[in-house]
Amino acid sequence: MSQTVFAPWNDPDETPLIRFKGVTKRFGGFTAIDDLTLDIYAREFFALLGPSGCGKTTLMRMLAGFENATEGTIELSGQNIAPIPPNKRAVNMMFQSYALFPHLSVWENIAFGLKRESTDKEAISARVEEMLRLTRLTKFAKRKPHQISGGQRQRVALARSLAKAPKLLLLDEPLGALDKKLREETQFELMDIQEKTGTTFVIVTHDQEEAMTVASRVAVMDEGRLVQVDTPDVIYEAPNSVYVADFIGDVNIIEGHATPEGERARIDWAEGQPPIWGTPRGAAGTGSGAGKVAFAIRPEKVAIAKEKPEGRRNLLEGQVIDIAYLGNSSTYHVKIADGRIFKAQTANTRRLVNRDITWEDRVWLSFTETAGVILEG
Amino acid sequence: MKRFSWFNATSLTLGFAFLYLPMIILVIYSFNESKLVTVWAGFSTKWYGELFRDQEFLDAAWVTLQVAVFSSTIATVLGTMAATVLVRAGRFAGRTLFSGMIYAPLVMPEVITGLSLLLLFIGIGLDRGIFTIVLAHTTFAMCYVSVVVSSRLTSFDQALEEAALDLGCTPFQAFRLVTLPIIAPAVISGWLLAFTLSLDDLVIASFTTGPSATTLPIKIFSAVRLGVSPEINALSTLMIGIVTIGVITASLISKRAAVAQARDERAAARTA
Amino acid sequence: MRKAFLIAVPYLWLLLLFLVPFLIVLKISLSDIALAIPPYTPTLDVSAGWQGIREFFAALDFENYVFLTTDDLYWKAYLSSLQIAGVSTLITLAVGYPIAYAMARAAPEWRPTLLMLVILPFWTSFLIRVYSWMGILSSEGVLNQLLMGLGLISEPLQILSTNIAVYIGIVYTYLPFMILPIYAALEKMDESLLEAAEDLGCSRLSAFWLVTVPLSKSGIIAGCFLVFIPAIGEFVIPSLLGGSNTLMIGKVLWEEFFSNRDWPVASAVAIILLLILIVPIVLFQRNEQKAREAEG
Repeated sequence: MSQTVFAPWNDPDETPLIRFKGVTKRFGGFTAIDDLTLDIYAREFFALLGPSGCGKTTLMRMLAGFENATEGTIELSGQNIAPIPPNKRAVNMMFQSYALFPHLSVWENIAFGLKRESTDKEAISARVEEMLRLTRLTKFAKRKPHQISGGQRQRVALARSLAKAPKLLLLDEPLGALDKKLREETQFELMDIQEKTGTTFVIVTHDQEEAMTVASRVAVMDEGRLVQVDTPDVIYEAPNSVYVADFIGDVNIIEGHATPEGERARIDWAEGQPPIWGTPRGAAGTGSGAGKVAFAIRPEKVAIAKEKPEGRRNLLEGQVIDIAYLGNSSTYHVKIADGRIFKAQTANTRRLVNRDITWEDRVWLSFTETAGVILEG
Repeated sequence: MKRFSWFNATSLTLGFAFLYLPMIILVIYSFNESKLVTVWAGFSTKWYGELFRDQEFLDAAWVTLQVAVFSSTIATVLGTMAATVLVRAGRFAGRTLFSGMIYAPLVMPEVITGLSLLLLFIGIGLDRGIFTIVLAHTTFAMCYVSVVVSSRLTSFDQALEEAALDLGCTPFQAFRLVTLPIIAPAVISGWLLAFTLSLDDLVIASFTTGPSATTLPIKIFSAVRLGVSPEINALSTLMIGIVTIGVITASLISKRAAVAQARDERAAARTA
Repeated sequence: MRKAFLIAVPYLWLLLLFLVPFLIVLKISLSDIALAIPPYTPTLDVSAGWQGIREFFAALDFENYVFLTTDDLYWKAYLSSLQIAGVSTLITLAVGYPIAYAMARAAPEWRPTLLMLVILPFWTSFLIRVYSWMGILSSEGVLNQLLMGLGLISEPLQILSTNIAVYIGIVYTYLPFMILPIYAALEKMDESLLEAAEDLGCSRLSAFWLVTVPLSKSGIIAGCFLVFIPAIGEFVIPSLLGGSNTLMIGKVLWEEFFSNRDWPVASAVAIILLLILIVPIVLFQRNEQKAREAEG
């Protein structure tokens, strides 16, 4: 396998930077992390994604040293980190609230960690200046945290946690406090800085778009377990469960009964309706394509037309009941034969006035046999 | 603003007149020439002179000041520790008793606190004097300090301490370099509160002192039991004056800080 | 280890200087009357082991408490303390509520100043504030001079050394404790609630009764307890402003101790005072708890 693509998780010779081995964390009677095993490799930008309370923050706090695992071990570079207190770990964290010290200036905030391990004033000063340049904060060095904007604070927090050149940087919802536009800009800045410094980043987020944008791999979590760990495109195109399919992006889900027929599988989903043809996940995943299944298809992979398209096996007839105009695209809500709502999304390549499909229209929905995934019901 | 009627204006005027007139009258009469405090016989500062020539008052003031400085300082240390325990230590054996002992002195009648401490000092054969008053004042003042400091600690973002640990601080360094500077205003107001309570206390000091140490409140109390005295008026005026200047200065400083903060935040929002 | 130290220091301090003294009071209240000569029998002889402890408890009795019921001075003092504290609490509420209300309705830029003006007296000596009324209320005092000067009365009124003076003293010194919690409750209140009530047909007065008062209830309750609880055990006010017939338990305890030098009875008086205080303190705590839950 050529090494042009960064994919250490596919390389059996690569040793991971972090290994979770059968880690369980309980708070009293509540299990926050349930027997979790996971490897994260050096230089990865790894995203932990899930709804609040799924255990992603607990996982991160165990890496930082603020929580200890109830069972199992966590290794950093092959060493068990349980007995190492947070102040001795080569791990730094960027806090969700940024946790900037309000009584210290930007410069002193960034220097704070450096001063703990060294007394060499010049070295500290040089490193702080470097961090200020990296995060474009040089002219704010003397300001106090309350004298700068939210986006600048975010960058101070990043600079402070990077200053000690940790092996691993943890980012807890780093962009959560920023507005949408700034967040998108900052995502690219984060990726850029990660690449420049070569630090391993583990980011916690509940924002799936953010995880998809920045991460080399995404771990989708639910109730203390890992549901799927994969690259963003696999997570999106080939989710391994209804939970993942539903959590990431918009999806149409149809439950039915699958029967394999050659390379394809036939899904019977409603009395008197033509079946849907799909491709079992086979090589990509675990789906056998038989028995009770859920068929999942993204709205943008569903074509919508007023005329019945020729030569397609997957065809559904219905009536447009709602149109959500999103500017660059429109999502059509189509009521199909059994009263179910099916969503189809098309790019608005033409102006709105020229749109030919409107409310109440009878339309045909179609998609290819490889467009959707068959998930275990 | 439209609801601020004449009724509200009247309540405020009468209310503040009630709160301040007695003290204003006291201040005015402290400048009365006459020994008969109720008859105005012209302006004079002679009672201030008398006061400063009265060695007993000066001694009592010195005792009071020593007691207040020592007890409020020890109480601030202990109270801050207690507040940290209450807010941060989580569960430990005897926690309920601990928080009970923090809150109980706040509602305990002074006569009972005084009586019980006196019985303890007699029981263990401790000579009563400045030292025992300091012990007594420290005990009840530390509870006030811990209430003030713990209310600040509760709103303190614990991530700040975690960030300090994450950046390589030991827990003690994290407290000294991060927590303490941030909660300093609360610790200072705790100290001021403890100091004022100590300066002010008559009942507990009366129980726990011995013949060697008379505090100012004890001295004032024994003087005014017999009736109004012009020297006490002068002393009261001085005390009211010091407190007024202190409180107004403190509130101006904090107001200026708040204004500066608001201005900075607006400026930061603009540069965003 | 560090945590243990942090807990141990204030813990031990409070055990030694709060709990132990309190247990001593309890023990002495159950001991025999012996004039001012410690130790009081029985003494706890731990070296005698279990037998010693048993004898110690067997010798304790409720003699002093029985004595308190036989002399009507004591129960009259308790009742009179409760009554004086109760009445002055109600007067303080009547005086304090309009002030708190007006403060909460004042322009926002004025509120910090008004708040400071309410808090300022709290920082000045309690003793001096009580004393300031002596010059006003005495028979040749400012008030009588003013009333006689206006021709409203021909003879000076006897106010000082009566219960009225005690009421005035309590209302005056504890007023900030009433104003602050009520102000805090009213200040949080959204003024559009009143507009909504009026929009729905309430008159100003009924909007006040149906909206403002219920929403400030927790502040009112807190204020009342903050005045009532310390007023019961008050000593300085009745001894400076009250007369010889003003009975308050704090004063009785003081005299029992300093004049009669009867420590066991003084201790018993203290224990009963505490038992009486438990009820309002528990109610107060519950109110605070409820207010906290409502907020958060």
